[in-house]
Amino acid sequence: MSALEIKHLFGLRGVSKSDIRLILDNAKQFREILERPVKKVPSLRGMTVVNLFFENSTRTRTSFELAEKRLSADTVNFTSSNSSVKKGETLVDTLRNIEAMKIDIVVVRHKGTGVPKFLADNSNAIIVNAGDGAHEHPTQALLDMLTVEEKLGTLEGKNVTIVGDIRHSRVARSNLWGMTTMGAHVTLCGPSTLVPRNTELMSNVTWESDVKKAVSNADAIIALRLQKERMDDALLPSMREYRNTFGITHELLECAKDKVLIMHPGPINRGVELDSEIADGENSVILNQVTNGVAVRMAVLYLLAGGRAHE
Amino acid sequence: MNKTVNKVVLKNVRPYVKGKFESPVTMNLADGKWVKESLSDAVEVDAGGAMAIPALFGLGLDFKEPLRDDIYNFKDGEEAMRRGGFFGGLYESSDNAIDDSRKLLAIKQACSASGLSFAFLGAFSVGYKCKDLTEMIELAEDGAVGFGDGNQDATRTRFLRLAMEYGSMTGKRFFFMPLDESLRHHGLVHEGSFSDTLGMKGIPRVAETIAAFRILEMARFLKVPVHFKQVSCGETLKLIEDARGQGVDVTCDVDIYHLLLDDSCLFNLDSHCNVVMPFRSAKDREALWQGIKSGTVNAISMNHDPVLRQDKEVNFEDAVPGAISLEIALPALWKPLTDCVGESRAVELLSKESANIAQVEPSAIEQGFKTDLVLFDNKGETLVEPGLFAGQVRNCPLLGSKLSGKIKGSYLGGRWTEV
Repeated sequence: MSALEIKHLFGLRGVSKSDIRLILDNAKQFREILERPVKKVPSLRGMTVVNLFFENSTRTRTSFELAEKRLSADTVNFTSSNSSVKKGETLVDTLRNIEAMKIDIVVVRHKGTGVPKFLADNSNAIIVNAGDGAHEHPTQALLDMLTVEEKLGTLEGKNVTIVGDIRHSRVARSNLWGMTTMGAHVTLCGPSTLVPRNTELMSNVTWESDVKKAVSNADAIIALRLQKERMDDALLPSMREYRNTFGITHELLECAKDKVLIMHPGPINRGVELDSEIADGENSVILNQVTNGVAVRMAVLYLLAGGRAHE
Repeated sequence: MNKTVNKVVLKNVRPYVKGKFESPVTMNLADGKWVKESLSDAVEVDAGGAMAIPALFGLGLDFKEPLRDDIYNFKDGEEAMRRGGFFGGLYESSDNAIDDSRKLLAIKQACSASGLSFAFLGAFSVGYKCKDLTEMIELAEDGAVGFGDGNQDATRTRFLRLAMEYGSMTGKRFFFMPLDESLRHHGLVHEGSFSDTLGMKGIPRVAETIAAFRILEMARFLKVPVHFKQVSCGETLKLIEDARGQGVDVTCDVDIYHLLLDDSCLFNLDSHCNVVMPFRSAKDREALWQGIKSGTVNAISMNHDPVLRQDKEVNFEDAVPGAISLEIALPALWKPLTDCVGESRAVELLSKESANIAQVEPSAIEQGFKTDLVLFDNKGETLVEPGLFAGQVRNCPLLGSKLSGKIKGSYLGGRWTEV
């Protein structure tokens, strides 16, 4: 096993091509294991992983938990609703208390940008980011990349279009860093109130306001979930207008390649960012993404644990 | 460290007298003055050719007492001023609105024992709530040098008009930190390429310029003098220049850290960089320096705002905003400031100009007269470490860095403090 250059996974900005390659290659092997009758390997036996989720999550937490169990790690789930956080305990105190229980890896989701790095600066545990604010969601991007490679053979030279609320999306940010590092060309498209205005540091991607143009040459389209709160905040007038303008519909796909992959990080707002017949159609790889999520998270945990696992 | 005496002989010191640094001399300091006669029972200090600079004046001091004396108090503030060489400051608290004369007199009383020169801003609305006017005439009679509502946005424009119109009877200046709360919209950092890359909610420049324009228009309409605190971008400076051209009496300051840092520091997500007015882009920082050079900027403010350690030992977005500056301001600013405007103007900006805004007599160094000075070795070095700071706080964005120049001591209000 080669070693990762990174010691923690905070995000994909700045992560080398060789590290991403290593994670994806390992994930492919774990993907095969997941197809076996016995889906468990002893790689993390004796290690303890804490899933520290300060934001609601069902699928990401379940996916991580499953990945940890498939690797034979002991897992503990910690959510803010069932913890001392509600009693006013600080983030660092929470972490130090958990760490005192001799844990090895912390998987964290938090509304605050940079919380995974903050925790790494204040502990000895290996930290994996499961989503920090609108900053990054690296394992989601890695599973998206694995899915594109699985279906198209490579990311190199492929056109990936991300449509929707880019401004508030940690998925979009991680994907734009990861996919461009791996040689894909990324196009970002969304309503003007939901795309960043200052893109100088994200200049390695194409910003397109016309969704038809954005999808016309795409090999894969990632539709982002639209939060209802965006309407309350006057960023959009209605779901209806969003669907008619930026929704992935049959009509829109007439402008795209026949074999274009349709992807979504879930959960889907059917009939808003993605029409049902598209979500369930032959181009959709959404359920492959879910399966690949477990494989990618197994690879990340396995590689970050490095030699620390007890044989 | 912190040895305090009343008489001191500074040997081999270069005092700043009448606009320039003199050749090394011996200064006998007693009873708050530079005296001719030799002193028999004084502490002797070999300054090693260090400069004696007229003591500084700090705009934007908040020592938290009485409501948040768990964070900091006047004693801590006085100690910070002595360590940093500040003979006085303009006090305005974000937590303790000075909205009636009883509070003003109490705070004046609490500060009077220090021997330092404080000026105070009265609030123009009760509790900074922009609802009821304060008794500004009485506040002015009791010594308020101007009016301001902390860092609150004057959200109700009609109330702003009435406050300025009523307050105009006092002839005092109104102080504002121009920031439109609606456009700020919970943002903590500058809206720019760094915030967008990190996915953080940003505060656009127009949040400042729109607020500034509204206030300038009101000042022009009512002929009331105004001061802008912590201007952070070149566009606001342009508005100020234009307004001055139309006869508006407007002064402004820029925050010390806005001259030293920009939003590129966000990538470290250091909670000490979470401040009230966000660090803007490198281009904005350059525009502020240009404003210093051209004279558009009247003064450099300190905005000394102590925050509890535990409120900074959290992730960036959960940190309480604020930074302290008094102890390190001189070494942090001296080199870039003198590179920009020369020694003479640097001394003016740090002392005289700030004091003028607060209507306080500036410090000066002249034999036979009252003297407040800071002994500064511009060839020394300061490591910004927690022990430099008074009290229990250490919320300095420069923590851990090395600054060129070192404060060796201060003589303020007749007391020598060796640092």
